[in-house]
Amino acid sequence: MATPGRVLIVDSSDDSRAVLREALSRNGTEIFEASRSDTGLALARSCRPDVIVVDVDENSQPHPQVSRDFDQATHDGSASVLLLATARRNVEPLAAGEVVAKPYHYAPLIRKIEELLARAA
Amino acid sequence: MPSLFVIRGRDQGTRFELEDDVMSIGRDSSNSIQLHDTEVSRSHAVLRRSGRAFLLADQQSSNGTYLNGRPIKTEELAGGDQVQLGQTLLLYTGFADNANADLSDKVNIVGQIQEDRSSRIVRSMSQEEGSALFGETPAGTQSPWLVRARSNLQIMYRTALAVSHTLDIDQLLGRIMDMIFEWVEADRGCIMLKDVETGLLAPKVRRDRRAPQIEDRITISKTILDYVVEHNEGVLTSNARDDDRWNPAQSILQMGVREAICVPMQGRYDVVGVIYIDTSTSPQQMVKQQGMVDKFTEDHLKLMIAIAHQAALAVEDTSYYKAMVQAERLAAVGQTIATLSHHIKNILQGVRGGSYLMELGLEDHTRAARQPEPDTNTMVDAARMIRKGWDIVEKNQEKITALVMDMLTFSKEREPEPVASDLNQLVSDVVELMAGRARDLGVQLKWKAGEPMPTLMFDPDGMHRAVLNVITNAIDACDCVEDGQVNISSSYAPEEQIARIVVADNGSGIEAADLETIFTLFVSRKGGRGTGLGLPVSQKIMKEHGGRICVESRPGEGSRFVLELPAVPPDAAEPPEEARRTPRRSTGETRATSPSQQQ
Repeated sequence: MATPGRVLIVDSSDDSRAVLREALSRNGTEIFEASRSDTGLALARSCRPDVIVVDVDENSQPHPQVSRDFDQATHDGSASVLLLATARRNVEPLAAGEVVAKPYHYAPLIRKIEELLARAA
Repeated sequence: MPSLFVIRGRDQGTRFELEDDVMSIGRDSSNSIQLHDTEVSRSHAVLRRSGRAFLLADQQSSNGTYLNGRPIKTEELAGGDQVQLGQTLLLYTGFADNANADLSDKVNIVGQIQEDRSSRIVRSMSQEEGSALFGETPAGTQSPWLVRARSNLQIMYRTALAVSHTLDIDQLLGRIMDMIFEWVEADRGCIMLKDVETGLLAPKVRRDRRAPQIEDRITISKTILDYVVEHNEGVLTSNARDDDRWNPAQSILQMGVREAICVPMQGRYDVVGVIYIDTSTSPQQMVKQQGMVDKFTEDHLKLMIAIAHQAALAVEDTSYYKAMVQAERLAAVGQTIATLSHHIKNILQGVRGGSYLMELGLEDHTRAARQPEPDTNTMVDAARMIRKGWDIVEKNQEKITALVMDMLTFSKEREPEPVASDLNQLVSDVVELMAGRARDLGVQLKWKAGEPMPTLMFDPDGMHRAVLNVITNAIDACDCVEDGQVNISSSYAPEEQIARIVVADNGSGIEAADLETIFTLFVSRKGGRGTGLGLPVSQKIMKEHGGRICVESRPGEGSRFVLELPAVPPDAAEPPEEARRTPRRSTGETRATSPSQQQ
């Protein structure tokens, strides 16, 4: 099922970005990439993505704050923010579906992104 | 900075730096200092800074807050204090004492000329001579009191020396017992230490003047032991004093008399154990001495108390040292496991991603091939995706190889295996290996081989790794700058007998404060990309060769790493056994090392 749309990937890992880019662009999804959260936030403001995928492990901010930052960066909070994070103790839980625990499998992650894209369409 | 260091409990090895003016301690994660101890209350105690001190206040905790073994409500902490909350024991380190900070201005060490003018060495004395301080009493000063006092001083002096020369508690207790037997006319003796967990006394060492008889167990009254520990007082006991058994007509003459001394081992804060000695007087001796059987006197008791205190301090020091070493070791192991797990997890994530792309490509290819008319465009795209996936898998395979190689290099004490090698060829190989990675990141790699460069003796595999790690770092440092450039050059200084490899980049540079830690294991400035192994490994290899790495850096301008290798010509070095047996290796060979190794 084709799920065109716009996805912003914020991840310091070249490999992870490359895999998501290749897999998502097969169906015509437009991909934007950033290796750092500051450039990611700037892209979120300028390119209006439907879904933002953020690897938060390298981000010093607590998870909910990262989510809020990206929500605000999309002006109206219209983009769905999907956080990739290592499960830790004592972390304030987020709403269901917003966090994918690391290490993750790519097939379910891609399916999750495509679901969010379909919801946004 | 003041800190609390956990020396016992589940958080053993953790150091909490007291950075804030108010810091809460408790089991709950909302506390500044969280202790994973079920006997600690959710909000147990609070630390409040008061000038150059911290006040510790109990927050009506269920199990109380203890300072040096006694319960407190609010108390000011002093350096070396022990704080106990639940089962967790913490050691407080106070503010650094600056009183002596500027003493260098007040004490002068002057040159030889001035020294000669003012003073000269009149007499020198070795440690051994110094220990003869309490030696033979000079003639004419044979007062019994003076002789005894000198003897006691000598005992204490030797005790202090003995306990300061070992960090093994069993050995320490053995020495103490031996010395006691040397000075006191005891027949049997034992030292019992208090178990930190149960608080029960357990025998650690026993001595007998004569070979012990079968079933010759030392029986000590629990009442006496409890009294000694609880009252922190030494006792002198005799089974002859409480009755009229001294009457020769009584049957006691057939049994003899046993005298004993039991003293507490009082440490800085608590009793850590007891020392017990006893002696027996046979009926024959009693008759011979007409009932005078006081082998142990009050002086013996005093001396034993002093010895036991000295021994207790040494036991405490040794225990703390062991706990500290163990805690540091646990912390290091924990950090190593955490760091390596993180990197291995990232590598596995990469392998998983590459495999996923290959799977997608194979699915697309199969689907396109099964069409009545094969879709060649889709098949080409699928092949491209498989290629992309394979590249990612291969890159991560190289990463894990590099990680393992660095771990092996760092973990083992090894001697380099020098063979006559061409340094320029080696660097050229590394540059070639790194060219692809530099290209991917848009970094220009320039290499200028210094001539002449003689054939030198070094371990080519080790040097390859050392140079590779430094060049990898330089390329990565240029990742965030436009027109990134890494210039690599070599040179040979015959007058210094040193060969140099210079790796200079125009990357992000290193802050002065970070320069001190770039060779520290597991410290990386590259976030998740760095293992913190690369530069420490390079430095280790250079040191093994008798060389070093020098670094200059300016933030925003770039860094310059110089690897200095002592130039050993082949004829000056005795070739190792292995090198004599095997043909000379060429440095031009391809090695299974990684261009993607990241510091």
